[in-house]
Amino acid sequence: MCGVIVGYLFGLGYLKFLAPPERILRWIEENALLPGQVHTYFHGTEQNIFRAYKHEVADVLEVQEHIQPDGSKAYMQATPQHRNKKIRELFANSGIKSAVQPFKYTVGGVEYEGENVYGIVHAPRGDGTESIVIVAPIKNFEGQMNTNGVTLLLTLARYFSRWSLWSKDIILLVTPNTSTGPQAWIDAYLSQHDPETIGSLSLKSGAIQGVICIDYPFPHRFHALHISYDGINGQLPNLDLINTATQISMGQLGIPTLLQSQQHYAKAEHQHHYKNRLKVLGHGMTNQAIGHSTGAHSVFMPYHIDAITLTAVGEGWEDEMAFGRVIESLTRSINNLLEKLHQSFFFYLLLQNNRFVSIGTYLPSAMAVGAGFSIMAIYLWLKSGYEQREEADVPVREATERDAATEDKVEAALADSNLTNAQLLESPSNGGQRLTKKKEWKSIDRPLVIPLTLVAGLYLTSLVPVALLVTAPHSKLLARAGSLSTVLLMIPFGLAFALGANRSLMDGSFFSSPQSSESANGAPRKNTLVFSDLSPPSDPKIRISQFQAIVKSLSLLVLGLQLTVLATLNFSLSMFLGVLCTPLAFAGYYRDSKMRANASLIAITLFNPFVAANAATMAAKLAGYYNDNVGMKDVLRLWLQNVSFGWNVWGSWGVLVGVFCVWIPAWTVATMGAVSSFVIDEDGQLPRKIEKVKEITKDNLTDVKKATVRRNSPGPVRKRKD
Amino acid sequence: MKCLVSLPEALWVLLTFVSCLSIVAATDYFERLDLTPLPLGSLLASFEFRSNESLEAYASQDFRYFPRSLGQVLQHAGTKELHLRFTTGRWDTETWGARPWDGTKEGATGVELWAWIESDTEQEAMRKWLTLNQGLSGLFCASMNFIDETRTTKPSLSFQRTGDHRNASLHLLHGVLPGKAGVASLLDGHKVFDASWQSMSVDVRPRCVSGQNCLVEIDQTIDMVLNIARAKRPREDPIPRPVQPYELICDETKPYHSQDTCYPIDALETPAWSLKDVFGRPAAGACPLAEEGGPEAKSLCLNIPHSQGVWIGAGGFEVRSPPGEAEKRCYQMIAGEPFDFDMPKTSVRTHKQIELEEELITAERTMTGHGAAKGGMRTVFTNPSATEPVNLVLFESLPWFLRPFMHTLKAQIVESEFPFEWEIIKDLYYRPAVDRRRGTQIEVVLSIPPASVVMVTYDFDKAILRYTEYPPDANRGFIVAPAVVRILDKADASGNAKAIYLRTTSLLLALPTPDFSMPYNVIILTSTVMALAFGSIFNILIRRFVAFDEVPENKIGKLVKSARLRVATLKEKITGTKADKTE
Repeated sequence: MCGVIVGYLFGLGYLKFLAPPERILRWIEENALLPGQVHTYFHGTEQNIFRAYKHEVADVLEVQEHIQPDGSKAYMQATPQHRNKKIRELFANSGIKSAVQPFKYTVGGVEYEGENVYGIVHAPRGDGTESIVIVAPIKNFEGQMNTNGVTLLLTLARYFSRWSLWSKDIILLVTPNTSTGPQAWIDAYLSQHDPETIGSLSLKSGAIQGVICIDYPFPHRFHALHISYDGINGQLPNLDLINTATQISMGQLGIPTLLQSQQHYAKAEHQHHYKNRLKVLGHGMTNQAIGHSTGAHSVFMPYHIDAITLTAVGEGWEDEMAFGRVIESLTRSINNLLEKLHQSFFFYLLLQNNRFVSIGTYLPSAMAVGAGFSIMAIYLWLKSGYEQREEADVPVREATERDAATEDKVEAALADSNLTNAQLLESPSNGGQRLTKKKEWKSIDRPLVIPLTLVAGLYLTSLVPVALLVTAPHSKLLARAGSLSTVLLMIPFGLAFALGANRSLMDGSFFSSPQSSESANGAPRKNTLVFSDLSPPSDPKIRISQFQAIVKSLSLLVLGLQLTVLATLNFSLSMFLGVLCTPLAFAGYYRDSKMRANASLIAITLFNPFVAANAATMAAKLAGYYNDNVGMKDVLRLWLQNVSFGWNVWGSWGVLVGVFCVWIPAWTVATMGAVSSFVIDEDGQLPRKIEKVKEITKDNLTDVKKATVRRNSPGPVRKRKD
Repeated sequence: MKCLVSLPEALWVLLTFVSCLSIVAATDYFERLDLTPLPLGSLLASFEFRSNESLEAYASQDFRYFPRSLGQVLQHAGTKELHLRFTTGRWDTETWGARPWDGTKEGATGVELWAWIESDTEQEAMRKWLTLNQGLSGLFCASMNFIDETRTTKPSLSFQRTGDHRNASLHLLHGVLPGKAGVASLLDGHKVFDASWQSMSVDVRPRCVSGQNCLVEIDQTIDMVLNIARAKRPREDPIPRPVQPYELICDETKPYHSQDTCYPIDALETPAWSLKDVFGRPAAGACPLAEEGGPEAKSLCLNIPHSQGVWIGAGGFEVRSPPGEAEKRCYQMIAGEPFDFDMPKTSVRTHKQIELEEELITAERTMTGHGAAKGGMRTVFTNPSATEPVNLVLFESLPWFLRPFMHTLKAQIVESEFPFEWEIIKDLYYRPAVDRRRGTQIEVVLSIPPASVVMVTYDFDKAILRYTEYPPDANRGFIVAPAVVRILDKADASGNAKAIYLRTTSLLLALPTPDFSMPYNVIILTSTVMALAFGSIFNILIRRFVAFDEVPENKIGKLVKSARLRVATLKEKITGTKADKTE
């Protein structure tokens, strides 16, 4: 139990220490990138062209006011087909080949349709083996119209095609949105798509070495560039790419860079404050844990393609040409690459635009939290395998000088106990004549068939609710989630009652024939299914608590394993799950302590996925992320839709697997135990008054020795009355 | 080389072969430059140089028109027919139309070489082939010695002899060295080598004109596609800076057109150009070695419509092609007189463009899938013709660490307006790879139905290489050589069988790559620790510990001591005398 607490405290505390200002300064490890070492020439008359292109693009992207013949005004927006025709026309005007890719996703009965337009600037003299992708979504992640971004992409396309220094082809992609368009495109690029619903690409180039997404969703000048980098399932791009973008933006062109929506909570001059770094860390970890798309760049990460989105934010004096120069310089840097980005880090947490925490530093925290459960599982396993049994009384020499000798004797006995697992007992009934009763820890048989079946069954069937949720039509999603949670809530109670009613399942007599289940001395027969020399515990009550301990131990073992494995895949998800599951290490079956049983029940009631989901929606509502007219149910529905969409389109499994396959099975087992302590107590068949089991240490030994003795024993020591 | 167009000196290792020959028969040397303006401001320049040597003279090493260095290498390696290609870039079929020379003078990106070698056994042929590669490697400063057994194949369907051979025991060997190799990088011409695509070829073959009068012919071509605007940039400042506002070519009909807003329409225009603009200097005049009359003497041709005007200089005469033939004009130059012309600015909208020949088929090869373990190869053939099916051989030479699964080889019609059943795969020649010994060779005979898109796919595994098998330089992946497509059953205007080739782009194969810096880090760290530990332990072990007063004095100590003593006595003397004085 201490292990869990230590692990938990260490893990959390550790994470808190990650944010101090002296964390590692970022550097660029790939020499070939040479960030900001080239002159940028995207200025001058290029701006004239930008302005003209902006007229053309705004014509088809934005709602246009038309004055009709009768003088009234009408508002119209171009159709996607018209829009794409115009974009292709602008590509053609620069002599760039372009193509269109239609796609359609159907998730939960809702169709997401659209068309990607993309052009390729072939590297002169290039062999078409490598490429760089520049993406401009028409609607950005927030749903704003990215008119300036698309225009910038088209102007840059024209500008880039005049250079002869490219070693990689430049692919320019205009997608209708950030959620489906880029996914459809990259899937088709790597031929991983379903040709029935997603169009194949007619133009292709070589291996993609880097992706830059442009997002400039307002007409005015901007102040800073925001770098988004979180990928699907918490995968991250190579840190060198982010560092290069920061270096170019801040160092070469003097544009500040921001991370994790910092513009909303931190002023530029306060970015290095501890509180703000902690917030950036928290935002980053939340995004990573959820594992959903955070922009057009996210979908490239699962294919090991490094991508970032640059978003213009704030009002300032930087214009679109400055943004263009950042892209130009960044593209030149990627163009310099001789190898795929492989140096530097793929696992990191950012604190500030020039500070990060590397995996070696942060991973121990999640590992410690995960290890806590494993330690608890080992403790419960050991505990379930031993029983204290009294041996024949051994007369001991008379204590003549009792006061003086006690200390020595105890010491000697303690030394003895270390070797033989025996314990000193002083029988008060014997008065002056003292007898030492030896109590030994005997190995006992663990009935494993039913606990293993139960735990394995719970973990294996945990994928069923996931499958039910992700296949539900969006209209029925909330209802299905509701009924699912009702069923899932009932399962632990049902299990507890079922086990309480059929105690034979728990005390090992299930596999023994009823006639011979109890031998003459009250000890049950050996388990017929397990061929072992050991005998099961003699006391049926102990058999029940042993059963509960084994079930919990197995469940915690799986949980600990899952969390440690998850920590290497998606650190943040593992960390959050570990913290939320912490009460499950303690909650369980307490036969003899009403207080602990009650505390368990409260803990599992407070820390369960259903309460957490509601609490999170409430928190999101209260924090003002949603309009007032959006109710809690709507928020929940929206989230469920996102989760279902993420699973079906992006293959984002984090939240669903984390909740349904890690948290809920462990919670079910813990809840079953906690409920059992009440159910089984009230059962008529069981002796209502359980004879109070006294712990040996409550007897005569001095407090100090008591503690020592307890520590030496592998589990709580109990004495039964004869 | 000085004959035709003046190219920057010291560029063409190849062309040194044809320069500076003294007294020759005119028919033994031929040269020609074809210039074809392509859409979007590009220009295709095709050079051809051809010379002959009689077989007897060649055999007795009496080289006059044949480069001695090359001839000796060929003779030493028993090579009867040689085809060598250096290619960079990618031919853009969609914009530029059919390939020059029907793709026969073009190779895979990098170096491609195939030769017929005379030998009795296969082993002997391979030995000679390696000798040939080593020789050519030195001659062309290209790393052709890397075309070893693993990169060598013996194509059975894709290449045919073009020369007239009498000896039957000839072995065909083919090797590709993909990547940016050799001559292409060696040649440093700021103008010429800013080309979007460029291909150089050397063909050596025996030809027998009338059965006994045999010749050895060497044919060298250089084809390149230049971007005129880029080529015209001054050499001192090749950076495409933004132009001045007055230089912008704007569409003034746009409603928003103003002083600071300009919708550019320059891509539709081809700027004015001359030979000097594009190649840096005018042509030096007719070559004295070449024929002086007849059609072969008009060594510079311009493929433009007759309606277009060209200003020519004084050094040449223009001859236009007769009606009925493709519109072009050729120039007969005068020896010793520099020649140039001025091509005025043209625009797609106002000038008639020459019609480009469409390619019979387009092929695009890409890799599918991701990750370090496996992948797939996908080749898409598009037959644009509405009526004619195309038969072709797809030849792939794969490195051994790319292991294709032949049972997954599939050809399917993806799109078709052709409603009938069609058997796509007609024949297959497959030679499996042997790890670290030879690569896979696949030759598939395919038939593409009219107006259809056919996709040929197969899956492959990526092998894990040994640590030392990775190249020592920066590793971006391994380049898989382009596939060669040979179109079958095509005849030219006179009914003779015609070879048409095209090549796909090369591919980048990402293999699981260890972090090479890590072993070095470990080695360095371990060595440092070892050195420190060894140093201190060794130091302690060999040191003899003695008490301070037991140490015998050494010579330096004695010297120092005596010196100190002397100084002390000297001091004493001085102070003593001083003291005496004061006393």
